[in-house]
Amino acid sequence: MTLQTSAIEPSVPRALIGVVVDNALVLALVTVFAIFSFATPTFLTIANLQSILVNNFTLLAIAAIAMTFAVSVGGIDLSVGTAIDFASFAFVSLVLAGQPVAVAALAGLGAGAAVGAFNAVLISGIGISPFLATLGTLFIGRSIQQLLTNGGNPVYLPPSGVPEAFRFLGRGAIGGIPVPLIIAAIIIVGATVVLTRARFGRVALAIGIQPSVVRYSGIAARAHVAVAFILAGLIAAVAGLILSATVTVYIPSSGSAFLLNAIGATFIGTTLSRLGRPNIPGTVLGVLLLGIVANGLLLTGLNFYWQQVGTGLLIFAVLALSFITRRKA
Amino acid sequence: MSVDIQLAPVIHFEPGVSTSKPSRSGNLAASALRAGSLVAFVAILLVFSLTAPYFLSVGNIGNVLGQSAISGVLAIGLTIVLIAGGSNVVTGGIDLSLAANMGLSAAVYATAAQLGYGDATAVAAALLTGLLIGAVNAIAVVVAGIVPLLATLAVMNIVAGLELVLTQNTVIPASTPLLTALSSSGPLGIPALAYVLLVFTLIAAAIVQYTSAGLQLYAVGEFPDAARAAGLPVRRLVAGAFIASGLCGGFAGILSVSNLSGSTTGSGEMLLPVVVTALLGSVFSRRLVPTVIGTLLSTLFVGFLVNGFQLLNISSVLVSGVQGLLILLVVSATTLLRRQEA
Repeated sequence: MTLQTSAIEPSVPRALIGVVVDNALVLALVTVFAIFSFATPTFLTIANLQSILVNNFTLLAIAAIAMTFAVSVGGIDLSVGTAIDFASFAFVSLVLAGQPVAVAALAGLGAGAAVGAFNAVLISGIGISPFLATLGTLFIGRSIQQLLTNGGNPVYLPPSGVPEAFRFLGRGAIGGIPVPLIIAAIIIVGATVVLTRARFGRVALAIGIQPSVVRYSGIAARAHVAVAFILAGLIAAVAGLILSATVTVYIPSSGSAFLLNAIGATFIGTTLSRLGRPNIPGTVLGVLLLGIVANGLLLTGLNFYWQQVGTGLLIFAVLALSFITRRKA
Repeated sequence: MSVDIQLAPVIHFEPGVSTSKPSRSGNLAASALRAGSLVAFVAILLVFSLTAPYFLSVGNIGNVLGQSAISGVLAIGLTIVLIAGGSNVVTGGIDLSLAANMGLSAAVYATAAQLGYGDATAVAAALLTGLLIGAVNAIAVVVAGIVPLLATLAVMNIVAGLELVLTQNTVIPASTPLLTALSSSGPLGIPALAYVLLVFTLIAAAIVQYTSAGLQLYAVGEFPDAARAAGLPVRRLVAGAFIASGLCGGFAGILSVSNLSGSTTGSGEMLLPVVVTALLGSVFSRRLVPTVIGTLLSTLFVGFLVNGFQLLNISSVLVSGVQGLLILLVVSATTLLRRQEA
């Protein structure tokens, strides 16, 4: 009934709220961007914007896209950090052992995919809920890393022993564009195509919305869920490779640092999108929002500890505003 | 206006945790599992007591109880939110701010004590801190309608930041009569914290399992629509659960100050272990739902495991792995049993 009345008499504020709700994330991003541009002289410079993309965007974007695949099938992946760590460990250890960088990188990707496959067995094979399954993987992964590193010692690459290709992956550039950023861009485009244009993506999103309908339609829902989690592990592994190539060291359980922000970015992108579904552009905008807030607060010269409070408050405000306007609409 | 928009219809895929079909065979499976997990609990205690003679001594059991006090209080707080929020962790009951809450409350207590305020004031300040954090969560979830996972994630960041601002990332030493009493030994040479945990659990269990408010919490968590139709104050109950959980965080903060004779950094590390403990707790209940006593048992289970490993000189790096394996084993057993019976 309310729907009909609003259709007959579309009042101006209602229409405006609709526009705001549909583009909440973009608006939030533009607002935050504008605020920092005015508040600090250095924010709106090419060098700084580049630094946002390189330092605050690349790795988290890749990790968050991995998360988006898990969320798209209605799950969540608390072990993205584990996949990042395993990939990083395999990559660094094999390079240290003198293996070619390509072989080590492949092994790293395999390690990440293996974490995803373990989750897939638990979730699709046994039927454990994704939250619990990946939580278990996270804990087991932490122990395995401690065992592999004699209680948590980092694996360093000696400065002399860093192959050129390894360095290139982390710090190289093609045509002035940093290699990690190019890789992130490829993953963003690829993931968008897979989720929106490929059959797999449509089925995955359908599973996330109505798993029973997908099952009754005779589609192998479990297989799709399994693939989504393996993809999540594989994509997270790419972040692991870039991470270790940038810092030339593997530090046990360092990937967990990305977990909560990846969840935040993915769900900000999901809830603030028009349909409320997981989507790659939303996730990428969510990562950008987190990155811009972190970078902007840094530039305001605020005390380092207050920056964390500020980040939390801003995210909280964005969430609250969008949820409240959405309710009103 | 009142068109109910399903905000994130995405997240209803939870094949593992569907506690909503109590059939006779399901109950059979549940009791088998429950018996199984209790047997496993006892078996592990037995193995440890046979291999490590000191394990079953009163002193050691008391130690485990005392060492489990902080995580126990936090896990019980989370359990209340799990009860009111339902089994779906993403859309329903989760409070990610609990560990950070404990850190900030501890910092507030230690700071107040250092500024020369008495115990009463410091305790009140710490509890008020926890209460406020819970209230912010409650408002965010109930009034603003933010998904609990996101709301408490944002609050966690704010609270962890405030803790850093207050402590400048340093240890704030504190020593008050209350802290001395809490870190001393009570009757039988058992740490006072052990008694605190037991009394706290009894009070929480009495409220959650044996009052009508507690029953209403379960109703809201398991069948929100039915609860609403029956006229229960759903929003107020959910808000109350988050506030109660916040209070538990404040209380755990005070306990942690006594344990470490000061407020220390790194409270965030407690978050995931506490989540695992609270989720494991439902295995120790008759209907496989979260209960206060079940959470106490799972806290002690983890505590005894860590303790037994230490006594047997097994590397402590295995602890988190065993916790992970445990949760997977328990949940797979539940799921497979259910499927077999279905």
